[in-house]
Amino acid sequence: MVNARKLVASRRAIGAVAAASVALTLAACSLTPGAHNSSPAATGPVSTAVPADQVTLRLAFCDGPDMTNALVQAFEKKYPQVKIVPQYTSFDDYVKSLKLTMTSDNAPDLAEYNAAMKDLSAGGLIADLTPYEAAYDWDKAFPKSALDELRIDKTGKLLGTGRLIAVPAGLSLVGVYYNRQLMSRAGISAVPTTMAEFEADLAKAKDAGLNPLSVGALDAGALHLWSAILNVDSDPARVRGWIDGQAGSTINTDAAMQATQAIADYAKKGYFPASANGTSENDSATAFSKGSSVFHVNGNWAAAQLDTAMKGNVGFFLMPPGNAGGSAVGNGYSVAYAVSSKTKHPEAATAFLDFLHSPEAAVIESAGGFLPPNAQAAPSTTGVKKDLSVANEHVVAADGLIPFPDFAAPAMLDALESGLQSVIAQRMSAKDFLDSLQTVWNAYHGS
Amino acid sequence: MSLDFIQTRRPASATSPLADARRRRQRADPRGRRKWTGLLYIAPAFLVYVLFVVLPGLHTVYLSMFNWDGITPATWAGLGNYRAVVSDPLLRGAIEHALVLIVFFAVLPITLGLLLAALLARHRRRGMTFFRVIFFLPQIVPLVAVGITWRWMYTEDGAVNQILRFFGLARTTRAWLGDFHLALLAVGLIGTWTLAGLCMMLFLSGVQKIDPALYEAARIDGAGTVREFWAVTLPGLLSEIRVALTVTIIAALASFDIVYVSTNGAPGNQTTVPGLLVYRLAFTDERIGLAAALGVVLTGLILVVVAAISVGIRSEA
Repeated sequence: MVNARKLVASRRAIGAVAAASVALTLAACSLTPGAHNSSPAATGPVSTAVPADQVTLRLAFCDGPDMTNALVQAFEKKYPQVKIVPQYTSFDDYVKSLKLTMTSDNAPDLAEYNAAMKDLSAGGLIADLTPYEAAYDWDKAFPKSALDELRIDKTGKLLGTGRLIAVPAGLSLVGVYYNRQLMSRAGISAVPTTMAEFEADLAKAKDAGLNPLSVGALDAGALHLWSAILNVDSDPARVRGWIDGQAGSTINTDAAMQATQAIADYAKKGYFPASANGTSENDSATAFSKGSSVFHVNGNWAAAQLDTAMKGNVGFFLMPPGNAGGSAVGNGYSVAYAVSSKTKHPEAATAFLDFLHSPEAAVIESAGGFLPPNAQAAPSTTGVKKDLSVANEHVVAADGLIPFPDFAAPAMLDALESGLQSVIAQRMSAKDFLDSLQTVWNAYHGS
Repeated sequence: MSLDFIQTRRPASATSPLADARRRRQRADPRGRRKWTGLLYIAPAFLVYVLFVVLPGLHTVYLSMFNWDGITPATWAGLGNYRAVVSDPLLRGAIEHALVLIVFFAVLPITLGLLLAALLARHRRRGMTFFRVIFFLPQIVPLVAVGITWRWMYTEDGAVNQILRFFGLARTTRAWLGDFHLALLAVGLIGTWTLAGLCMMLFLSGVQKIDPALYEAARIDGAGTVREFWAVTLPGLLSEIRVALTVTIIAALASFDIVYVSTNGAPGNQTTVPGLLVYRLAFTDERIGLAAALGVVLTGLILVVVAAISVGIRSEA
């Protein structure tokens, strides 16, 4: 009986693929894999009027259940004739089942955006929201850089252009957290305003016998650090082009070489502990909250945890630009919702999307730990959360939100994580690392 | 059934050759029919098996011939995906890692299991149930929980390093799962911890089936503990060893949960295994065809190894 358990468990990995593919094929009712959905016909002018009839929508999602439920309730209060049934699935299961869910005849009307939506959009299963964008003037209501990252071309591979397929509810942003007490103990009087100052501060912290940075490179920690350094030295359009998949883009740039070399140098100089490769990003944040280091690069999602643990002792700033007064840039993305092309109530569904930039929604999004797309309507906060919302306003104003580099190709996350682990261990040169990323990029987008 | 019953009981009424032939046919009939009834009995299970195991398996083979992202129309790839499995250093590396894991998932647990069984089986001791429960506990814990627990124990301030520091070995401490040379070993030891108890249980129950007279005879002939183990215990446990080898080697080659939870292939792809890559290729990299091909190769490898074990050990016995 024990053997059976082990056998079943070990066979699951192989079986899962087979089972999933069978289900997909059955769904498509043909032996040759792949759905042949006709692209949704371009409709004429769309209405922004919320239908007066009783309508029930289903919303599939995986992030921020509290925020999503609160948004749904606030929306239903505003439009009592529309009922939205939220269907929560944990992230891993959501990602795994999304394609099956959206291809089924019983697809939800609204679904949280995920990278898998790119293929679904190419398969004609996600509604093109561009006509609604024009009707609702979303280009004015939402930050341009956040909205652009939810545009996709017909092939489903090129981001940042083409039809709009989702609308953001909350933005995320990566930057540098600092420990006020340790910073003054290291003799650092103010938050750095240039990259050179930041590196000088790292050296000061090291000289003072402190640990300058907490990095969790076992998963995404090193890639957030690398990407933050890369962004401040690069032309945002060029970085975006590579992440979006624009033909001919390359990561083999001087800025990327320097950013990679910086990671290797920091590791060599002991700016972060040798244990970084065996520490997860979550664990590194916990270590930082306990005073293990002066600085820590992480996203806004860590703010609530750090704020609770460190009270007024923690602050946040954007990775400073190469030259003083340079523009504010940061890695970030959004929790966004897409509309199924199979929905019978597109007006009601898009009315919910429009609601996401309302002042009521901004309060809920902020409470949910996200940065509201309507930055001005964000409720006033204090401490590190205030630092974050100020940074967000700067980034939105400078149009400096840059998507995460792992969005460049489905296999990019693993290439980035494993590559940076090798760079940290001084087992891979900066050049080889960038070449390995470009190989993954070329395999997906074509060289 | 009822017809069979009537026919077999019908008295023979004629003695002509024709009637003889008919009678022979009648006698032969029930046997043939019984064969078909037998198949009828297994039909429901067989159908379920074909529907949920054989067909998906064949479909996986079929899918492995395509380049497919899971949604948009697939393109024919022929054997291209299989060539990639053999030539891509990442995929080949994963298969090599799985082979290394056999040492930790199969060889070590079986050695330890035999040792424990030999220690516990020679004399009936009080509290045997206690030992059995203790050593069997890792089997009861879900592998995901095992992976998470060990990940914490392997961190810089985790239990493993605390113990090393306690014994004055502070210089050997490190974040074990982040070490390029030792991460695979660290992951392998998790498997050893999990599977040693299973092997011991198998061997303990096997030892109890060995005729006590053999031990008595061995002792009278002046065999010591070691000699007794080689001459009586080990030969008596061959079938259990075969089962243990089969189960643990499959666990090594098809390992997924422990690796996925503890390192996810880190650092720098030093601990990737085929199961992990099948999952990754299919669910994140959107390369269903390549994932299917790797799955087929993995299944083939497992079948070959299992066949070799059952042939090899049977001929020895």
